[in-house]
Amino acid sequence: MPRIPTALLRKARTIDAFLPALLAPCRDLHTAQNELRWLREHVEKVAKARRAKRDTLVKGALLGQLVRERAKGKPLQYLLGTEYFGDLEIKCRPGVLIPRQDTAASVTHLAKLVRTAPNLPAELRVLDLCTGTGCIPLLFRHEFTSNRKDFDLRIVGIDISDKSIGLAHYNLLKNERIIQARAGMTNFAKADVLADPFGDLTIGAPLPVRSMLNHNKWAPFWDILISNPPYISPSAYWKTTTRSVRGFEPKLALVPPPKSKFDDRQQGDMFYPRLLKIAEEVEAKIVLLEVADLEQALRVAQLAQKLDVFDGIEIWRDEPDVSSSQPTNEDGFHVYGEGNARSVVCWRSEGGSWLGKSSSPKPPELLQDAPEETSSNSYWPPSYYQSNEVNFNAMPRFMWKRHMGDQRGKPPTRWRTPKTRWREPA
Amino acid sequence: MLTTPWVCRSCLSRIARPLIRRQLRHQSTSAASESIPPALLSRARNIALEHKTLTEKLANGFDTKSAKKLGEYSSIVRALEKWDKANESVTELTSLIHDSTTDPELRDLAADDLGETRIDLINASQSLITSLVPVHPFAHLPCLIEIRPGAGGSEAAIFAGDLFRMYQAFCNHNGLRTSVLKYENINGTSEAGIPLSEAIFEVETENAYGVFRCEAGVHRVQRVPATETKGRTHTSAASVHVLPSLQENSAAQEDFDDPESDYYIDIKEVRQEVMRASGAGGQHVNKTESAVRLTHIPTNTVVAMQDSRSQSKNKEKAWALLRSRIAQARREKREDEIVAMRRSVIGVAKMGRGDKIRTYNYGQQRVTDHRSGTTVHDLDDVMAGGQTLEKVMDSVRSWLMERDVEGLIAEEGDTN
Repeated sequence: MPRIPTALLRKARTIDAFLPALLAPCRDLHTAQNELRWLREHVEKVAKARRAKRDTLVKGALLGQLVRERAKGKPLQYLLGTEYFGDLEIKCRPGVLIPRQDTAASVTHLAKLVRTAPNLPAELRVLDLCTGTGCIPLLFRHEFTSNRKDFDLRIVGIDISDKSIGLAHYNLLKNERIIQARAGMTNFAKADVLADPFGDLTIGAPLPVRSMLNHNKWAPFWDILISNPPYISPSAYWKTTTRSVRGFEPKLALVPPPKSKFDDRQQGDMFYPRLLKIAEEVEAKIVLLEVADLEQALRVAQLAQKLDVFDGIEIWRDEPDVSSSQPTNEDGFHVYGEGNARSVVCWRSEGGSWLGKSSSPKPPELLQDAPEETSSNSYWPPSYYQSNEVNFNAMPRFMWKRHMGDQRGKPPTRWRTPKTRWREPA
Repeated sequence: MLTTPWVCRSCLSRIARPLIRRQLRHQSTSAASESIPPALLSRARNIALEHKTLTEKLANGFDTKSAKKLGEYSSIVRALEKWDKANESVTELTSLIHDSTTDPELRDLAADDLGETRIDLINASQSLITSLVPVHPFAHLPCLIEIRPGAGGSEAAIFAGDLFRMYQAFCNHNGLRTSVLKYENINGTSEAGIPLSEAIFEVETENAYGVFRCEAGVHRVQRVPATETKGRTHTSAASVHVLPSLQENSAAQEDFDDPESDYYIDIKEVRQEVMRASGAGGQHVNKTESAVRLTHIPTNTVVAMQDSRSQSKNKEKAWALLRSRIAQARREKREDEIVAMRRSVIGVAKMGRGDKIRTYNYGQQRVTDHRSGTTVHDLDDVMAGGQTLEKVMDSVRSWLMERDVEGLIAEEGDTN
């Protein structure tokens, strides 16, 4: 990182004594001035609240402390406690990833596309994996209900961290009035996206997503799946992230956990096969996955293409709603918008018409490659269909009783045979 | 040596002029003809072509501007179609008549038909010419009429009062709503019956500007004034200003989606930029920049906003600011136009008796409009705002239309 010129520091000092310290994390005078102004406003607000409680506050001392913390690199969002995500003000706490503007742009664009769709189901179900502060479910509901009130919208946000589930609930409470949330239609729950639904369960570990949905008696099928998973590879974590991200934001939300025999890139992409698998299982019509850059976007798009369940795949950049720019073509995938490649969008069946893609159902190369699928090539073991029995490995032990009860031998009604053709997990 | 005899200069100049000057009417309504100037016809054809491309363009995507243009063109295209049809049938009939092989019975029938078709053609060409003339941009608006006495002292003031009553009566007869904004007599009060010093009234009905546009100018009166003791005829004048009334209609202005509104901005004409981190973005950085910059491309108006931490709030504020700036610019431009129009309608120096547009001669019970050359003799009915006034105004409107057509032809000639 280049050194800040002394002239700039001197200039900053003449404007305000606090500015030189803020130059360290901000790098330029304009941003530093803005941040100082916001910090001042925050201090004023705190002081006002204290006065209302007949308490006093030394404003200068608080401001000095905040500036010092900021100079060390602590994100402004943690200092002020909130970040704006679209129209919403989302509470932020250390230990949970700060919402990013780029995510908001993608989610807003998706909600705007879907809310004008003609053939929506009576209840639209949206699943958000790795929800963090809960910002994506809340913003999607806000954008969707702002001009579509004739549909029920059921949203569930899932995260592995207790801290983030707590914060997401708090954010729901805070924004309830603005987003017109109806009781019970927005939920947050703890689950492990990476956990194998057929693997052995350890006591105390979070449930796999599917088991969790079953456990909470939530619907097994979801229309839209959104996720902003950890996607930074260990090497990129040291190279490309800024110091304030590295030093203060949770690594859990940024870098996938290490796994033996996985190289750097594979570790960065670790979440996507699982997310696409879950999308398949819940029969998602639209899948929106955030990615780091164009290379990763292409890798994810190719992965989705190999699955051969989606009618179309495209890539959105940071600002997908810039209408003037024409889509470019990268490796056979359309790339929309301006900026860095930010998300991969896949759709199938009605999802295409929700996104307004009805004209081009499948890219030609996809049609050519699509092999004739056989029924034996399914995700579930063949015995699953024949035995008519519940796979107990897939559900936690304490649920066995509920399923067995008095109807031993019969398959639970919720676990219907999947309608689509499944494949063996890779 | 031959010498030319001396001839007085005035006699010489007298020889140059014809002994009897023929009284020529330079401006008058000409009879309607079936032919259309070729320049106008080619213009109509061009417009029809453009109409076609616009229709194709609109079939692919909606665009307010082209939709509006299409609406303007459709009447021209329709008139052109009608004219083509009529023209074709006339040529067909004439060829039938002139063809020697035609059966004599058929020829008689054709000759009978020809008269009717000719009339159709004349109507069609009239309507085509009318549709080609662009409608005055403010014709659809209500208007303000201002009456002030000109040269002629208190007699002019009395006549201004007469004009005021004439227009009021005209509006009453034709069901146009009026409201008097200002009425001031020469004593500075608003009492009626005393010579007028200034009157302003608004005709609130739509299209009023189109109706009264022809009335702007100096109106001359020739009569024996009530104030005259020796029975001499005086000539005085009163001036009439007609201006479109642009009411500050706040409800319409707040409507951003209405293309008529000052605040309307086509989203396609605005470039929107947000501050983006130069590096990888996404989870790699937690930037705090929320600045938004909007550029209105046609006017090159730039608005940048970075007050709030919320990008969407900044965006909202920037849009509001951009809208108000553009609206301000549009309003100023419109006001400039009105000022220019006010100056062109009637200059400060053009208030005398000579630059009249119409003469009201009480001695001869005659009203003559000097632009269209129309003379009517029912002065009392005119001053009562009756049918005769309507007739005079109609003649002026058609005269204005002819001027526009001439302008059009000249314009076409320039471009071709």
